[in-house]
Amino acid sequence: MFAVLPLVYLVVRAGDKGAAFAWAYLRRDSTVELVVRSLALTVTVTVACLVLGVGLAFVTTRVALPGRAVWMTLAALPLAIPSYVSAYAWISALPSLAGFGGAALVLTACTYPYVYLPVAAALSRTDPALEEMARSLGRTPWQTFRSVTLRQLRPAAASGALLVALYVLSDFGAVSLMRFDAFTRVIYTSYRASFDRTPAAVLSLVLVVITVAITMGEVRSRGKAQQWRTGAGAARVPVPLVLGRRTTLAAIGGCLAAALLSLGVPLASLAYWIGRGSSLDLDWSRLAGAGVTTVLVSAAGAVVCVLLAIPVGVLAARHRSPAVRMIEQATFAGHALPGIVVALALIFFATRYARPLYLEMPLVIAAYVVLFLPAAVGAVRASVALSSPRVEEIARGLGRSPYGVLGAVTLPLAAPGVAAGAALVMLTCMKELPATLLLHPTGSETLAIRLWSLTRVGSYADAAPYAAALVLLAALPTVWLGQALRQRLDSTETVP
Amino acid sequence: MSVRRGLLAFVATLLAALATLSACSEPEADLVIYSGRSEELVAPLIEDMEAELDIAVDVRYGDSAELAAQLLEEGDATEADLFFSQDAGALSALAQAGLLSDLDQNVLDVVADRYQDPQGRWVATSARARVVTYDPTQAPEATEFDSVDDLLQEKYRGEIGFAPTNASFQSFVTALRVTRGDDAARQWLEDFSALEPAAYENNIAVLEAVNGGDVSLGLINHYYWYQMQQELGAEAMNAKIHYLDSEDAGALVNVAGVGVLRSSEAADLAADAVDFLLSEQAQQYFADETAEYPVREGVESTTYDLVPLEKIDSAPIDLNDLGSLEETLALLDEVGLT
Amino acid sequence: MSRLEVKGLDKSFGRQSVLRSLDLEVATGCLTAVLGPSGCGKTTLLRLIAGFDHADAGRIRLGDAVVAAPGRHEPPEKRRVTVVPQEGSLFPHLDVASNVAFGLGRTGRRTGSRVAELLELVGMGGFDRRMPAELSGGQQQRVALARALAPDPQLILLDEPFAALDAGLRVSLRAEVAAALRLAGATAVLVTHDQEEALSTADSVAVMAAGAIRQHASPLTVYRRPTDLEVARFVGEAVELTGVADGGSVTTVLGTHPLYGTAVGTGLVVLRPEQLVVGPNGVAATVVEQQFFGPSTVLTLALNDAAGVVRARTNGSHPSGATVKVHVDGPVVFFPGG
Repeated sequence: MFAVLPLVYLVVRAGDKGAAFAWAYLRRDSTVELVVRSLALTVTVTVACLVLGVGLAFVTTRVALPGRAVWMTLAALPLAIPSYVSAYAWISALPSLAGFGGAALVLTACTYPYVYLPVAAALSRTDPALEEMARSLGRTPWQTFRSVTLRQLRPAAASGALLVALYVLSDFGAVSLMRFDAFTRVIYTSYRASFDRTPAAVLSLVLVVITVAITMGEVRSRGKAQQWRTGAGAARVPVPLVLGRRTTLAAIGGCLAAALLSLGVPLASLAYWIGRGSSLDLDWSRLAGAGVTTVLVSAAGAVVCVLLAIPVGVLAARHRSPAVRMIEQATFAGHALPGIVVALALIFFATRYARPLYLEMPLVIAAYVVLFLPAAVGAVRASVALSSPRVEEIARGLGRSPYGVLGAVTLPLAAPGVAAGAALVMLTCMKELPATLLLHPTGSETLAIRLWSLTRVGSYADAAPYAAALVLLAALPTVWLGQALRQRLDSTETVP
Repeated sequence: MSVRRGLLAFVATLLAALATLSACSEPEADLVIYSGRSEELVAPLIEDMEAELDIAVDVRYGDSAELAAQLLEEGDATEADLFFSQDAGALSALAQAGLLSDLDQNVLDVVADRYQDPQGRWVATSARARVVTYDPTQAPEATEFDSVDDLLQEKYRGEIGFAPTNASFQSFVTALRVTRGDDAARQWLEDFSALEPAAYENNIAVLEAVNGGDVSLGLINHYYWYQMQQELGAEAMNAKIHYLDSEDAGALVNVAGVGVLRSSEAADLAADAVDFLLSEQAQQYFADETAEYPVREGVESTTYDLVPLEKIDSAPIDLNDLGSLEETLALLDEVGLT
Repeated sequence: MSRLEVKGLDKSFGRQSVLRSLDLEVATGCLTAVLGPSGCGKTTLLRLIAGFDHADAGRIRLGDAVVAAPGRHEPPEKRRVTVVPQEGSLFPHLDVASNVAFGLGRTGRRTGSRVAELLELVGMGGFDRRMPAELSGGQQQRVALARALAPDPQLILLDEPFAALDAGLRVSLRAEVAAALRLAGATAVLVTHDQEEALSTADSVAVMAAGAIRQHASPLTVYRRPTDLEVARFVGEAVELTGVADGGSVTTVLGTHPLYGTAVGTGLVVLRPEQLVVGPNGVAATVVEQQFFGPSTVLTLALNDAAGVVRARTNGSHPSGATVKVHVDGPVVFFPGG
């Protein structure tokens, strides 16, 4: 229910000046252009992420690559880089990047792990027997990849692509630094230019409609596909593909290029600024304090998100009724909204109906829930969908109640996936700025807030340690995500 | 097995985090300020204020526009007593929404009329001027410039740096519209755009580009140059600045200001705080630390050799007209300068 | 359909040697069962023939072409060897018809007549549009067989295709599959650990143990004349008695029996339970236990003079403690030594 609050708020605000105003505003050419522009960016980044994410996932999980573990970690690591840090690095190095190209580049570099992680996980557990069948039936490796492997990856790739698309729609950092007028930037500018909340609310509602449409598209693409394996027998792990020297070099080159674009440039820029600043001036206790607050708030946000995601995710995986679909999509509504809109919605409700919570940490966590619940729901749903409902039926047959089965069978089986979802939410919370900035308790500060505060006065050298700390902290859950992925590969890599 | 152990450790950490978090709380403050001006700029001043008035002040830092939106949404439920804004626009919006209370006349009297709300609901605390910065080796003739029209020369193609998203630049465009009318302003912007100026993220980046010789000219606020000169030393500073004719929009003077929230339960303290921000001590701080222009008469910078405000600001532009930012942004969008 | 010839095949995983200089020949149009206990390397052999794994040494020849040899590895898609795996492994995203048509060329996929013909052959006519998840295990295996037959391969490999099915279905389905394979004239290798399945389905049986083929012959020969004790024990239940051979016959506690071949000296006599006949004449024995199996009853008999216990089949009823007479019917196998 919670996730719908921003919608209620937006409807109230959009209606401030009457439906006629809202309708007229909607029909302006510039609004139509805005929709086209934003969709163009979203589609471009999503397609680029799919190509990059699936490609890297295949290379790192299925190819006998030297240093495979390192490449896996590197491929996941860009998640730790906030889009505004990456965008700043690029724009300060290449000012001519500003615009569509720069925004697409930065957003792709920052978000492709959303596709990479689930696809790599799916690749590590899809049954290689299917691919062998296809080969023995005369399909080349490439044909097999297209006709069999990709089809198996579709649910994972689609859920990743959904996260990417929603991220692109809601991201402010990259589009504002790249000066590309996407929805969020226009909404923000509208607040700043007129201090009139009605146009911003109308635009936000358009954004919500787009989000719902995209989400429904993803649900359709997931379709009726059943993910647990048909037939009996234990799944084996694929034998890594041994490539020729030239192809191996090309694969390594691809991984390296992705790492350089997504990690190298922002990290080099951080290093440059840290080098320029004098570390003596750094207030270590303040940095540590902001770091601790960041970790605590993000961790709390992740836990609450996952707890709320469990019922929705289990329902979504097991019971595909229209009502459940509605609930699931409602959780997605908040995800594409810019942080500032969600924050203002929560300000609206908290000041009226929950005054004691206003500008306290629970409100920040509430914003995280609205913004990032879908990521957690997706993780829960995907991992529950992987285990066969037959196993649950057996547990029911052994005398467990439905809730007993949930606790004793479903969740333990899904636990690794759910934990991965929590890690994902946590690192996303760490990077979140607009909502945190508006809702954090007065006097407390996170790394992202400090970073913003210092960069706006141009103190890049002073800001760099905060950015570095943020990237380091966010890297921890990211590395853990990569590790979990690798362990799954290693643990099943046994003699047939 | 190790996955499970990792999982347990992870959950344990989270639980610990939650416990610690709920134990956090902060002491009550006497006065709450929402500051659109950055912490790096005003925190020392707030500390002085706490000492001077013997009160505890909580400051919520943010972007002026976002904080204004927040205040509009909070309405009477706000905990803020004072809004300290980077620009006049946000203060005007709050004043128009009826969220600001009237300031005392004796406070307003300290400041010239053009640096305050005609209805006395907010007052400027410091001012900044638009200037042209130039590379003396590439464009020594910049000292001869009277108006922004002098920038519109073919030889400066690709040689002018500016920060299109910066609020001060946008204010300059508004001033251009106010002084010349929308059509003339559009013409200037189109000519400017045709010269393919180099867009930078902010004023500092523009100044660095000029100082490094990447471009010959730049449009910035004056204090960035003074601050950089202070930081690098006069010897190492290559870029110079030039004030355009005081009647020109390119020499626009902008202000930062303060207003008291109508819902404040500490209105007296808030009034004292406004008083303090206009005091000689605080005004001296702006002049000496941030290289801004003090708005209180008779205060002069002891560290920066600022061109006197009277020389550049003959007040041809009514600051209240700068509220029409929406049209300015539409115009900038139209000519492709975003 | 082609002849399969495997020579000197070696394969190790890490330090574990799985196949050791394995030889196997399968004649054109012949269904050969590779019979062996779990972990003897059957599946590895099959994967090497299919081209899924690389051999360490040895060669595999299909018809006139060498598909695997030192420095040579024909990829699976070039070998025209199809597989029916234990779990069916139907493509879950394709319906039955598309699964069967998967290995056909573009034209074959379009016409669909071949698909209908094959589905008819495996008794799945009319199931074209069903999804794999909607089929029972047996149905999935039938479709998997049709899919493997569709591209008219040189060789079909069946990897324990009936292991996951229940007993009744297993018996009927394997007869049908054998019939379908013969009808299609397919050269096929059936990997199984089920003796009955191998003996009843295949034209020839290759018994495999510890990474090598121990004996490859007709089902009857493998059953009646195993070449070593291990094969004897694995291919079916073995009654083992010590005996003394003297050329064409051997003498045990149960009398003197004709031998396959000739031998001299002390050794182990192996015969099958059905060769022990309970009847009016022979050696006396005491019934220890009787187990009723429907068509036959298995008696556990204690032989006199402490020669041990043997199991015999009969169709009469003999309660525990009863004394019966047994004699050996037909020739027996003799392994000299221990």
